[in-house]
Amino acid sequence: MLALVVVDTVCVLLLAVLVAGLLRSHADILRALHSLGAGVGDPAERERQRDHGTGDRSGPLRIGPALAPNRNATAVYDVVGVSPDGDALSVSATAGPGNTLLVFLSSGCTTCAGIWRSLAPGSGQALPAGLRVVVVTKGSEHESPDEVRRVAPPGTTVVMSSQAWSDYEVPGSPFFVLVDTAEGRRSGEGVANHLSQVVQLVERARADGGDRTERDRAHLDGKEREAHNDRLLRRAGVLPGDPSLYPTRLEDVFAGDAAPGAHGPATLPR
Amino acid sequence: MAVLRAHGIDARLPAGFEGRIFRRAAAHGSVSRPVAHFATFPLPAGVGDFGNGAVTAMGPDDVLVVLFEYGPESVGTALFARQGMPTSLEPGHFSPITLRRGLGGQSGTQWFFVEQGRPFTLYAVLGSHAKRFALLPRLNSLLGNLVVAPVGEPAS
Repeated sequence: MLALVVVDTVCVLLLAVLVAGLLRSHADILRALHSLGAGVGDPAERERQRDHGTGDRSGPLRIGPALAPNRNATAVYDVVGVSPDGDALSVSATAGPGNTLLVFLSSGCTTCAGIWRSLAPGSGQALPAGLRVVVVTKGSEHESPDEVRRVAPPGTTVVMSSQAWSDYEVPGSPFFVLVDTAEGRRSGEGVANHLSQVVQLVERARADGGDRTERDRAHLDGKEREAHNDRLLRRAGVLPGDPSLYPTRLEDVFAGDAAPGAHGPATLPR
Repeated sequence: MAVLRAHGIDARLPAGFEGRIFRRAAAHGSVSRPVAHFATFPLPAGVGDFGNGAVTAMGPDDVLVVLFEYGPESVGTALFARQGMPTSLEPGHFSPITLRRGLGGQSGTQWFFVEQGRPFTLYAVLGSHAKRFALLPRLNSLLGNLVVAPVGEPAS
């Protein structure tokens, strides 16, 4: 009887090991299918879910036709070029308190004409307040500055830069990139024929947390807070090794004419 | 690092800076001179030569730098006695009363000098006088990356 119980227990243990092995093998197969784009929870499906405001948010929101899957959809670059008047111009997409909308247009395309008109003040198509709009055309080797000047609404920042089209891998015009200035990444991008689609994109990004306030961010904890602080320091131009990170005097820490309780140069312990 | 180059002024912009180098259209027979604006905040279109229209958009953590060239007749005058552009400013150089348009909490400094035979003024504004110790390294990182070419030569 005892032998029977021992044999039965051994059989149960062996079966348990077999089942665990099968489950692990199954998980490996599912992971492999995911990487091939053909598994349960297909990445392409996740992309579609994200486009409709559901699913995870590892990349930017999308509007319009699908974009090439292997493009760099998060990096943000300064837009450097010239204005239609010939000024040398560099626009930082991450400067300022509000988000930045880069609008890639050409002076000749029919669809762009409607966008140019919509960007004019009083067009009735208002973008959300606080959003910085920067129009980017190709450089003067592809565009006529006179034509760009003719269609550009007054007061709009326009940069002629073929490099920016290359940096942002713009597939054609009109193309839009929404930059989350606080995070230093793209929060949305895509092709749109009407500015109303872009307004929806901006509102979705805002609802999705793209416009979280500094107060919200102050509640981050642990590694998230550390990463957020690093981003803020980088935005302020304080990079690793910056002397301000290693104060030697109280005056370096307390901005003012005198440090608290100090009546002369005081030195901090290293 | 973005590089701006025009009218014999070469600027390598540190992270977070943007800029514009331009000449206004000459009016009534006058000769327009190069102007450069650099800022850590979005520069509005149509900013005045000395930042009018921009300083009101500054936050307390922002910096604005204006480089304005004068005519060659200014070379040799007492105002432009200093040779060489300042490349590193100190907290003591800044004062709220130096501002062209006094806005609460801001602070400014202005320098007249000749660089490569060209007379300039450098006007810098800090978004907060109280934060000048913290803001100066950022401003100085820009000044150290500005190069002026001699008269008639492009900046390298």
